[in-house]
Amino acid sequence: MIRRPFRLLGTMWGQANALFAPALRGRWVDPLIGLAGCAVLYELLQASREWTRLPRPTIDIDLSPWALPQYTFFSLTRGLVAYVLSLLFTLVYAFWAAKDHRAERILVPLLDILQSIPVLGFMPGVVLAFVAFFPHSNLGLELAAVIMIFTGQAWNMTFSLYHSLKSVPPELQETATLYRFDWWQRFKWVELPFGTTGLAWNSMMSMAGGWFFLMINESFVLGDHDFRLPGLGSYMKVAVEKGNVAAMIYAVIAMIVMIVMLDQVLWRPVVVWAQRFRVEESSAAEIPQSWFLRVLRRSRLLRRLAVWRRRGQQPKDHGEAKRPAAATRSLTPFGPWAATGSLVALLVFLAFGSWRLFHFLSHVPAAIWWSLLMAGLATLGRVLLSTAIGTLWAVPAGLAIGLSPRLSRALQPVVQVAASFPAPMLFPAVIALLHLLGVGLGAGSILLMLLGTQWYILFNVVAGASSVPSDLREAAKSFRLTRRQRLRSLHLPATFPYLVTGWVTAAGGAWNASIVSEYVSYKGSVLTTFGLGAKVSQFAESADFHALGAAVLLMSILVVTFNRLVWRPCYDLATARYSLAK
Amino acid sequence: MTDAAICELRGVQKSFDRGGRKPLRVLEDIDLAIRPNEVVCLIGPSGCGKSTILRIFAGLIRPTRGEVLHHGQKLDGLNPGVAIVFQSFALFPWMTVEGNVETVLRATGLSEKEVGDRTRHAIQLVGLSGFERAYPRELSGGMKQRVGTARALSVDPELLFLDEPFSQVDALTAEGLRAEILDIWDDTERNPSSILVVSHDSREVVYMADRIVVLSANPGRVRTILDNTLPRPRDARSPEFLRMVDKVHDIITSTELPDVTVTTAEASVGLDILEPLPSAHSGDILGLLEFLEGQGGSSELFQVAAQTRVPFERVLNSVKGAEMLDLVDTPRRLVVFTPLGQRFVRADMDERKTIWRDQLLQLRLFRIVKDLMELRGGDVSKEEVVQEISTRLPMEDPEITFGTIVAWGRFGELFDYHEEQGMITRA
Repeated sequence: MIRRPFRLLGTMWGQANALFAPALRGRWVDPLIGLAGCAVLYELLQASREWTRLPRPTIDIDLSPWALPQYTFFSLTRGLVAYVLSLLFTLVYAFWAAKDHRAERILVPLLDILQSIPVLGFMPGVVLAFVAFFPHSNLGLELAAVIMIFTGQAWNMTFSLYHSLKSVPPELQETATLYRFDWWQRFKWVELPFGTTGLAWNSMMSMAGGWFFLMINESFVLGDHDFRLPGLGSYMKVAVEKGNVAAMIYAVIAMIVMIVMLDQVLWRPVVVWAQRFRVEESSAAEIPQSWFLRVLRRSRLLRRLAVWRRRGQQPKDHGEAKRPAAATRSLTPFGPWAATGSLVALLVFLAFGSWRLFHFLSHVPAAIWWSLLMAGLATLGRVLLSTAIGTLWAVPAGLAIGLSPRLSRALQPVVQVAASFPAPMLFPAVIALLHLLGVGLGAGSILLMLLGTQWYILFNVVAGASSVPSDLREAAKSFRLTRRQRLRSLHLPATFPYLVTGWVTAAGGAWNASIVSEYVSYKGSVLTTFGLGAKVSQFAESADFHALGAAVLLMSILVVTFNRLVWRPCYDLATARYSLAK
Repeated sequence: MTDAAICELRGVQKSFDRGGRKPLRVLEDIDLAIRPNEVVCLIGPSGCGKSTILRIFAGLIRPTRGEVLHHGQKLDGLNPGVAIVFQSFALFPWMTVEGNVETVLRATGLSEKEVGDRTRHAIQLVGLSGFERAYPRELSGGMKQRVGTARALSVDPELLFLDEPFSQVDALTAEGLRAEILDIWDDTERNPSSILVVSHDSREVVYMADRIVVLSANPGRVRTILDNTLPRPRDARSPEFLRMVDKVHDIITSTELPDVTVTTAEASVGLDILEPLPSAHSGDILGLLEFLEGQGGSSELFQVAAQTRVPFERVLNSVKGAEMLDLVDTPRRLVVFTPLGQRFVRADMDERKTIWRDQLLQLRLFRIVKDLMELRGGDVSKEEVVQEISTRLPMEDPEITFGTIVAWGRFGELFDYHEEQGMITRA
């Protein structure tokens, strides 16, 4: 019964593939690549004109569907620029943390804290600073939006690369030492390749995370200032304000198209390409594939380019003795003094920052702190409830999908798109529904949080279920375990470590989502409920920066404490007892 | 003589920090030289620090005490003349065969042309021509080790170090590779001048070495250095060869089972001497006893290893374990049942466990654990036992000893162990 839609999907997919067939044969590849190149160039020119134009008091968003491609492209550009920034940040930060043992003790917990700060916590400072810095062009505001998208992308990627750098196999390290690789050679030949597979996968997920606050990032109110940038997020926001249902639907479609396109044209090829860096020598169970990469690899134009580039590198014949002697070649990019210096600078910066923050927050009266704490507990309750509800449906569904290769092949791409879709864009529809049912935002906001975070649980359970070793599954079958017994003794324990990862991500996401789900503007009015997320939104909008700082600080503290007290022990239990790696 | 050495260790001692606990001493008073044009092999039981010696020679690890000389100069940092072939290959999985070799050459700062020439030559030397563009994951273990060898040879090292190079390669391939490496070494005009091999396979050692360095464990010491003057190429089936293998076996055995050569009366009964436990699993000891019964109650030590195809080191540990429990005796190189062992092997499982338990309680170490349990009212933590072991047996790795205690105690149902809580409890 469930199968029919999949078969239908399969047929459609087949026909779509047939459509691409001539392209796959390679004849059309080069002209298509040329055409795409021209289109990208044109759009980049458009974007740069937009970025450098004078700041305008108000930007009118055109709600006609024909304006959407342009808006979508602007948003896409911001996301990609933010991604490049995230990548640079990741490379520097992760490398520093992995190489300098003293700095590591500060940098890693700091990253943990940064990860827990909601995007609105960064917003006022970033926006005011950048706008003040570029008073005569739109660049300041554009950069502020980029930085806010960056805060949704960077931390995860940094953690991933840091862990990879720390787990480079010792014999590869010894080889690098023995043959006297300097720090740069070690980085580009050993460490970076080792981290690439994880980084590629994480980049895909982080980019999706970056879209979550697109509506806020592109249009927000700070006190009596209304900042707005042309883009998909602001299009949606205006459509919601005006109650224009058709425009909302257009925006959702545009978002889906953008996500699918990014997935097919950018991430899938990158993930497939990154397979060459995987370390397990045995071939993986299912090797990901990408039609787009296949097409690119057939391009004669690109092949010629590659050859040309390689030839360009050849004549760099530096004589034998040009390299510095082994003894003097440095193993870190900077000498020990520079390392100590930057560490001290970081410490001074942190100390100064905390001191300023302390002063800044000393104006906040105790009564406000108390009410914030109560609000925090209310939000904590919602976060836990939404995680619990997500678990209730996502675990059975995830097991069903993950244990059946056919289901997972059919549904994996769908789940991936759903997970990448920024849930706030669906809020208006859900709120209309809640309104109809007479449910208030107090309970309704749980549903809104759930909308954004359930995918993390589902995603991880699917991954866990599909990695249950086949010998264990066969054993369970051959001993005639009933479905219930199999669930209790095999499937649940084996997926538990993945479930914990899902919980951590989902709860973190729910905290962040509380900002937009406890405080929703809908058809020109604002719906709100008692909670820390609502407080953050309110204080940002009324530009009450002292209270905003207090609320953001409290949220970070709650998140970090909860991680330490609850999720960390869960994680330890998962690795000690339920890990299949040993 | 010593002046001519390429590389030399003088009075080297090495201990590893174990975060808070007493540092573990792995090497003690090592004096060892590698001379030009020779093959030196290090052999010994696990824990004798053979790989550590190799890494100290290479300059990857610094000794805690003592000095490393390279052509008479004190070595500070990496040894410039050394290339290593690793046990686990240590190839970069994201680079082709060619890329793996080129990379280390580029790191030395050679010109691109030189890099290309040397790569081609090294790949050809180990018979990998045609595989230049293959990735390591496409190759078998033997082929991977050829890449490892090509990479090491490409930098034209004065010293070639092989760290258990063939233990992850099938026996047939290993035989071929050994001969090929010796052929390359045999050309005295070219590098490598000398080879250092770490091995646990006595036949490999006799086949390759000019000098065989036998080490004893805990801490690692040089037991004997044996000169191997068999003419090359060596025939592994010749009687001289087999005699030499036997001799190496004898020396290793005498380091491990003292009563083979030294017949002091009742060496282990002295009350204050705590005997270290050999790291033998109870299952291995049981298997050994069953095997002995099949052989009519006695067998030659090396026959056990040869017939069961169990590594010699593991057989040795099992024999030592069985001897400690007074189940077998080892007059010279024979292993024979004691009357108790005879009774044990014929008993049913319950009686076996009773005998085992009684024998365990004859050992001081187990009595100490038992006393600790009584003192603590039944349960005792792993930390406490490990602490006790490390003070009473300072030369042993307490984690390994603890593992053995748990395995033996569980089999004798003397106590139970909860791994997650790290608690020993009553059975």
